[in-house]
Amino acid sequence: MVARLADSKQTAPAEPQTREPDSSRPRTRLPQDKRISWRPAVLPLLVVVLFAALALAAAYGAVPISPLTSAAILLNQTHIIHIQPSWPASDEAILLLYRLPRVVGAALVGAALGVAGVLFQGLLRNPLADPLLLGTSSGAALGATIAFMLPAAFTAYWFGFGLIALLAFAGALVAVALVYLLATHNRRTPVVTLLLAGVAVSAVLTAAQTILITMNDRLGLRLVSLYRWISGSVNVESWTQAEVITVLVMVGVIAGFVLAPALDAFALGEEMAGHLGLRVERYKLVTVLVAALLVGAAVSISGIVGFVGLVAPHLCRLTLGPRHRLLVPASALVGAIFVVVADLLARVLVAPAELPLGVLTALVGGPFFLWLLRAAGSRYRW
Amino acid sequence: MVSNSAATPSPALAFESVSFGYGARPVVRDVTFQLAAGEMVGLLGPNGAGKSTLLRLGAGTLCPARGVVRLHGEDVHRLSRREVARRLAVAPQEFSVQFAYTVRQIVELGRMPHHDLLSMPQREDARAIEAALEAAGVEHLADRVFNDLSGGEKQRVIVALTLAQEAPILLLDEPTAHLDIRYQIEILELLRRLNGERKLTVLAALHDLNLAARYFPRLILFRETIVADGPPAHVLDAGLLSTVYETPVRVGILRGQDHLSVLPPGQDNPLVWQPGKLSSGGVAMIHVIAGGGSGELMMRALADAGVTFSAGPLNAGDSDYTLAQRLAASSIVEPPYAPVSAEGLAAARMRMVDARAIILCPTPLGPGNIVLVEEALAARRAGHKVILLEPTALSTGDTDALLATVGARDFTTRGVELYRELLESDCLVAKSVAEALQLLG
Repeated sequence: MVARLADSKQTAPAEPQTREPDSSRPRTRLPQDKRISWRPAVLPLLVVVLFAALALAAAYGAVPISPLTSAAILLNQTHIIHIQPSWPASDEAILLLYRLPRVVGAALVGAALGVAGVLFQGLLRNPLADPLLLGTSSGAALGATIAFMLPAAFTAYWFGFGLIALLAFAGALVAVALVYLLATHNRRTPVVTLLLAGVAVSAVLTAAQTILITMNDRLGLRLVSLYRWISGSVNVESWTQAEVITVLVMVGVIAGFVLAPALDAFALGEEMAGHLGLRVERYKLVTVLVAALLVGAAVSISGIVGFVGLVAPHLCRLTLGPRHRLLVPASALVGAIFVVVADLLARVLVAPAELPLGVLTALVGGPFFLWLLRAAGSRYRW
Repeated sequence: MVSNSAATPSPALAFESVSFGYGARPVVRDVTFQLAAGEMVGLLGPNGAGKSTLLRLGAGTLCPARGVVRLHGEDVHRLSRREVARRLAVAPQEFSVQFAYTVRQIVELGRMPHHDLLSMPQREDARAIEAALEAAGVEHLADRVFNDLSGGEKQRVIVALTLAQEAPILLLDEPTAHLDIRYQIEILELLRRLNGERKLTVLAALHDLNLAARYFPRLILFRETIVADGPPAHVLDAGLLSTVYETPVRVGILRGQDHLSVLPPGQDNPLVWQPGKLSSGGVAMIHVIAGGGSGELMMRALADAGVTFSAGPLNAGDSDYTLAQRLAASSIVEPPYAPVSAEGLAAARMRMVDARAIILCPTPLGPGNIVLVEEALAARRAGHKVILLEPTALSTGDTDALLATVGARDFTTRGVELYRELLESDCLVAKSVAEALQLLG
């Protein structure tokens, strides 16, 4: 041991010379700059794909409306251009009152879940974190169950939200608040405690929901619609609701974009993030709030749609790298495209019947995700 | 305790009667010490002694139960987290990264304290990041994924991250833990270089006493409170260490080594020198003649052994001069590349007369410094002890071989002749710094 120490002492001064040659320095800079420059160019591309998906989804359904007709109907809505209608009036009603809100809703749900997934995975430092973790899904489900149980007299509308949407939204937020409060001790909220509290609260809320369902006779007739709600399907009741959800999701996505550098710092661990000058507990709270808002907004119009918050962030991380400045907008777009397409398939595959959206996202998203992981092989190490 | 010089009004980091405990268990008790700007201090102590806690208190991550931690004179808890991060960087021991960030992306995060969340990176940031990558020697790893790196590479990237922060103070928690000896040395060499070149103030918790002795001019021995604080020879006391680490140890300089070593008891490693054999009365008792790096090992060994010494004349800019300024009690300086002046020679003569021994290091001989060899010869003839440090000498008896090596670095006509006369006048020859120390005793 001592002799080895002596040997290493002899070799130590020679160490710097054996290091990598200096000649490699100018070479490393150029490709790096180039690679950074193409990545944000992905965003406009994704926007184009999203609009294509929206147009496709608006055109197809139980009643097909051609994209040209759709465009004409939309242009007429602007009241600037008027195109003589060559389509049945029912097409216009289907497009404007039923299909378009739903397609837009699907995009919003996807964007919200995609960004919420990025936020939760970044904050919890866990690639498996799903936005429906931390009690959001069970809270929303319990809220919706209560709404289904209440007498029809209560089904008023607030800001275009029906009782089900409203209670689901509230349920998701209350569940997250509960999880956060339970996990906080001495003004600190360790992420592991947060995860565990999320699991525990979810279990309790799901149990409560099961009790309500089994004990309540009134629910009997509406059990099927409740089940359908829980398995997820985009259900936008009015344009007012779509507008409110749009505002919520936009605020959430922008907040996620602003929080991006903090999430990068969180990847080094909470303590290191603190050493880099972040007020860790505050950013943690803000991130959870933003993510809960996004999930609440999504759940209120779609029920529980799984897998989006996992597929979209990982697909983006795999192709664009882990940095959150790019990951947040990219995941929003990829999530939106994914849900719009999945919703379209849910509507047309067994038309005129409908598949539950949540089933489709898992059925299509799962194998695709697996294929992606296997294709990437060992290159992907989240 | 090292007193801060008058030039720095407030120390870089100061603990004032700081106590802290987890629950009822005290972990840090009444700690007071200061780090002057540009100091390089090693924090020693057994596992669980509270070293990491002490660093966290210094970084403001933990709040002391009693006492104050001051950063450049200001209470660390009165400063915003971001302001603290601009003044002080922390390299933690454990550092796991989630997701496949590249080295460059990790190092870029070091710029966070200089921005709010929305401001765009500036040219200044790009420069700081490149400089940090280069200083830590990880430029060639910039595009690699951090999690794919080896332990030593990761540790260097962590240092690069803290350098990109451009904070004047750097706290490190066991920067060499879990690394093999090559990476331990690399990291510590890097810290020493940064401390020298950038005047970075360094406080590092360490578990390896031998490396600490070699790289840190000041050590703090810590166990719940400060047990000892000073140069290695003062802190690495066998009695102190045995008490603090609760195991008997021996401290000394091994044959062939140039720094203090801490050893388990009972081994038959011969320690050629142990503290206590030499006592310095405060006056410089050894004068070192060196130059061009020839005196580095000798001066380090003397400093480690707690022997006060003087050195010179040395040219400003010479690495030996830089080291002598830090380690020697006094050093005589000449302008860069200038020959020894009359004043310099007079000053050297005075030191040599007072010294108990003169050590002549294997420095190249030129017209500028040959007078010092003449002076040493004169001192030897006047009865002073002169030791020639000649690492390449085969054996003490082989005069011709020794003179041949002197001839190889002699750029005057007189050098070899003067050395021959020195040998003829019975000066001593040491083949290693350890032997030189032995000859001093």
